[in-house]
Amino acid sequence: MGFLDAFLGKRKVAAPAATDRLFALTTAYVDLETAQGIKTRGAAGIVFQQLATADFAQILSDTEELLAGTGEETGSTVETQDDEFGYKWVIVRDDDMDDLVVSVNTVADNLSLGGYGDRILAAVFSFNDAQGKPLYLIYNYKRGNWYPFVPASGQQQRANEREFQLKAQLGGGLPFEEDIARWFPLWGIPI
Amino acid sequence: MARPTSFGKDTGLQARMLLTMFLLGLVYVVFMGVLFAAGAGVITIVLFAGVLFAVQLFASDKLALRSMGAKVVSPAEAPELHAMIERLCIQADLPKPKIAIADTPMPNAFAMGRSKKSATVCATTGIMNLLSPTELEGVMAHELTHIANRDMVIMTVASFFASVASMITQFGFFFGGGHSQSDDDGPGFLVVVLVSMVVYVISFMLMQALSRYREFAADRGAAVITGRPSGLASALMKISNVNERIPQQDLRAASEMQAFFISPVGKSVAGLFATHPPMEKRLAALQRLESQLQGQRMASIPA
Repeated sequence: MGFLDAFLGKRKVAAPAATDRLFALTTAYVDLETAQGIKTRGAAGIVFQQLATADFAQILSDTEELLAGTGEETGSTVETQDDEFGYKWVIVRDDDMDDLVVSVNTVADNLSLGGYGDRILAAVFSFNDAQGKPLYLIYNYKRGNWYPFVPASGQQQRANEREFQLKAQLGGGLPFEEDIARWFPLWGIPI
Repeated sequence: MARPTSFGKDTGLQARMLLTMFLLGLVYVVFMGVLFAAGAGVITIVLFAGVLFAVQLFASDKLALRSMGAKVVSPAEAPELHAMIERLCIQADLPKPKIAIADTPMPNAFAMGRSKKSATVCATTGIMNLLSPTELEGVMAHELTHIANRDMVIMTVASFFASVASMITQFGFFFGGGHSQSDDDGPGFLVVVLVSMVVYVISFMLMQALSRYREFAADRGAAVITGRPSGLASALMKISNVNERIPQQDLRAASEMQAFFISPVGKSVAGLFATHPPMEKRLAALQRLESQLQGQRMASIPA
């Protein structure tokens, strides 16, 4: 959004960033697993706004069907879920990181082709670290950047120290979000 | 390839906004010319107003929050509101503003702050109790759009010369045309006062028009961000119903805040002098956005 857009009160929402920034996870994960002992929990989700338009539900069920079809070869399963804030999640379960990333990208692609790419917020991948503690990596579709999210016990508490450590550990391999003000938490992640 | 996104452009609104700003600028340039021609005494007033302007720009958000009795809340204190705004910020690609809550039954919300980084959005407990999450989301997206569009700075800048003109007019009334002792190597003081009065009236009306256009733009922005024009429409209907019922007594304290509210309170001043467009027009605009969203989609379904 440039100055002129703000001056004239124009507002647009961004379409998804280039896909290679998402796919950076597939190569980065090799490193994560071997060097850091961070392993996938076999699930990934993509979260977006659901619009009450006639073709939205159709696009969504077509996408689900498509993923279920490819899932027969890869062994991944797919489900959709509404969260408490009214957003829709498509959740893919598969132990193979490449399959997870490809599936998430398929959802984003289908929504974009249907003209709903600007409704996608983020993709979330769930991991356990070497101590077995859960952590998430979140991909912000608007900015095309990754950041860590480690919820802590207590209502809406997060382990910032651990997140900073993760940034130091992962920062090289992934296009990372440098502005920590943009490390938005996502509460109630269903994976 | 990918189809165009959900909403088209509103060139008409932008054209009207630009025209209003141009006219306002024109009035101010003429006014400046008269002031400079009038000489030193008036320049002092302008400088004085400049200081006030700076104070207004840098302190008004805190003053406004205090006058509303609003308190900045942490995520632990208002988890749902924080989570809702965080998601809207991802969607709108904005940094997260500070979030405040004012403990008053009057259902309203406003945004303050001169930049995206220093912004605060405030909701009253009244609005949080009144609206469903979807409706509240629409209202918050409207306020976030005000922040993104820098409406507070634009309105403060737009009002600068109007306040100078108003000061000179008042000054003129208090001291009359009494001391016209200076030689007439420029327009006399009386002329300056008269010009100021005219400038004040014209710029006031232009500013109110500009404010209404910014409101339309913020409504539109909320619809674009949430993808739910009707959510905001339903929120506006609920808010205006309640605000019309609330007794006038409570509202006087809030009158200075009007320009920043999601919806004005109390008896509305019609037409040229209103900071907000009439409710029917806002609802009609949102309705148009909803049909745009739905209509485009209907057309694109293969038969």
